[in-house]
Amino acid sequence: MTDASNAAPLREKKSLLAVDARTKKRNAAEARFKMYGIIAITLGLLFLAVLITTIISRGTGAFAQTFISVPVELREDKLDKKGNRNLEDIKKVSTFGYNPLLGDALSAVILEGGFTTEITKSKELRKLLSSSAVGQMRAYVIENTDQIGQTVTFDFFASSRVDGYIKGRVTREDLARDKNLSAEHLDLVDQMIEAGVVRKKFNPSFIFGADASESRPEQAGLGVSMLGSLFMMLVVLFLALPIGVAASIYLEEFAPKNRLTDLIEVNISNLAAVPSIVFGILGLAFFIQFCGGYLGIAAMKASAPLVGGLVLTLMTLPTIIISTRAALKAVPPSIRDAALGVGASKMQTVFHHVLPLAAPGILTGTIIGLAQALGETAPLLLIGMVGYIASNYPDSVLSGFTDPNSAMPAQIFEWAKRADPAFYERAWGGIIILLVFLMTMNIIAILLRRRFERRW
Amino acid sequence: MDDLRYMEMPVDQDTKISASNVQVYYGDNQAIKDVNVEIADKTVTAFIGPSGCGKSTFLRCLNRMNDTIDICRVEGTIKIDGDDIYDSAVDPVQLRAKVGMVFQKPNPFPKSIYDNVAYGPKVHGLAKSKADLDVIVEKALRRGAIWDEVKDRLHAPGTGLSGGQQQRLCIARAVATEPEVLLMDEPCSALDPIATAQVEELIDELRQSYSLVIVTHSMQQAARVSQRTAFFHLGNLVEFGDTSQIFTNPQDSRTESYITGRIG
Repeated sequence: MTDASNAAPLREKKSLLAVDARTKKRNAAEARFKMYGIIAITLGLLFLAVLITTIISRGTGAFAQTFISVPVELREDKLDKKGNRNLEDIKKVSTFGYNPLLGDALSAVILEGGFTTEITKSKELRKLLSSSAVGQMRAYVIENTDQIGQTVTFDFFASSRVDGYIKGRVTREDLARDKNLSAEHLDLVDQMIEAGVVRKKFNPSFIFGADASESRPEQAGLGVSMLGSLFMMLVVLFLALPIGVAASIYLEEFAPKNRLTDLIEVNISNLAAVPSIVFGILGLAFFIQFCGGYLGIAAMKASAPLVGGLVLTLMTLPTIIISTRAALKAVPPSIRDAALGVGASKMQTVFHHVLPLAAPGILTGTIIGLAQALGETAPLLLIGMVGYIASNYPDSVLSGFTDPNSAMPAQIFEWAKRADPAFYERAWGGIIILLVFLMTMNIIAILLRRRFERRW
Repeated sequence: MDDLRYMEMPVDQDTKISASNVQVYYGDNQAIKDVNVEIADKTVTAFIGPSGCGKSTFLRCLNRMNDTIDICRVEGTIKIDGDDIYDSAVDPVQLRAKVGMVFQKPNPFPKSIYDNVAYGPKVHGLAKSKADLDVIVEKALRRGAIWDEVKDRLHAPGTGLSGGQQQRLCIARAVATEPEVLLMDEPCSALDPIATAQVEELIDELRQSYSLVIVTHSMQQAARVSQRTAFFHLGNLVEFGDTSQIFTNPQDSRTESYITGRIG
């Protein structure tokens, strides 16, 4: 004690009002560090703003579509020659049989509207409309055989070029090299817009409709692949959640701590970092080739949402296990002591006290895992869900799991790689829908966490 | 140390717990070395000693709470009413119903006050009906000397009570299962002097029905509430005897050094 008090003071006595050089340096370092932080956050926000504005500006166009309303006379002599409204006979008339009706109807529109155009040929006129128009008419006639002989006004999709012209994507110069449409068509379209025959309006079939072939971008929709994603998510939820939570509870609360459990632990952490395409090839090898091919399980076939869901389950499990274990670890040991102290068994302790307290964390982890699985594309590539044209709705819930389908991100990828720029716009629109889903899931995660969070 | 209540206490009760040659290891570390102790029924026995001397470890051996620690190993025999609690036929769950425990930090479940107390009886199937359970809960809360403070808000969260109230709630929770022995691991270390006084009073009352074992860092507390005192040092049980004798006429020089504040 005496030594310390006799030694020369390490610090000179100075007024507190004078800031010394060392303090200045430290304060400057702190100010610099804060600045780096602000720059980093500003950059991040800037990129986010660029991303969101790009997606919105390019993608919103996909939600509106150009329609041309055409009154069509459903002539009996073409559609039902025998005149007895026999459905079988009506079905024999293929979409080709409807072409003349459509051409005549368009000519009539031009005549009535008093539009001036050089185009007279039926085939040329029909280029204004999507090639889905005849299919739409045929489907309507088969549904409403009593309408044969009447004049019905249809809202047909305009062809993607006309739609592109109205959205500003296609110009007259572009059409010089285009054999699908000519500048002459656009002159006609201009007149039709003025007369109100051609209108751009909200197109629900982009959200709820099926995908279409490469030549009909205007008809393509995300609905069927959305169902594919839904069925996959159901598989993931009902497999990954119970398996993941059970595995984590066992590992965290019951398993002895030894080399084997350490090894399992390390491997689970590593699995979370395995590229998702590896899970894809595992799914191809095991579920499709082994289970489906060798064992002959019919449900395990390429492009089936069941297989996709199984692959995504494998991929999501590590995420769920890691977050569940973190949530279980965060429950204070005093709660376990309290329960064991009054004579609860280990299992009662876990299920009555630990699990309810860990539930918000588990739910959050699960929803984030699901959101990750929802946006995953690479593994679907290998099991054939990318590239599958999801043009038919599944017949039943069961076939929803087993019938080939696509998935939302796979559908977006598919559109993005098609040649027609009209598909490009749909890819952006699809991204908006996908992001809306992801945001909804994250908001649900936040709400659940708020709702169940308890202090202890 | 002018509170000499212990002087009036006769200590000639039946033995409730008898431990012989108890050794406890954490991995390779020996935490308890060859402890022999006999704990009497309807008596408060205090374990005192410096931090890390093994008193809490020994306490946790008495209801096998050390089972939850993987690396912990217990040797020797501990008998409660003549039954070896480390016998392979003993289920720790039944043991803990018989030997209740109150912890250092008040740890009510994040549930209502009622559910906190009702949990033990529910787990052990002590109540046949809701009305039964109500009676048990009220009785336990009265024993925990907290009934009057919480009777109007039984369904409020237990975590919303003050520290002292929480600890008395934990005591009520422990007595709700009608244990025969109550272990308390520094039950007042997180409490202020007023709450401490309330808990000590409660301990004195509980002595009528239970055998109590209390670990404490406060020698005044040991002197005030206990009839028997055990002094632990570096894993050894140095001295065990009547509280009056330990505090007035310690036999071992280490005990004397500790209670006079020279080691610890």
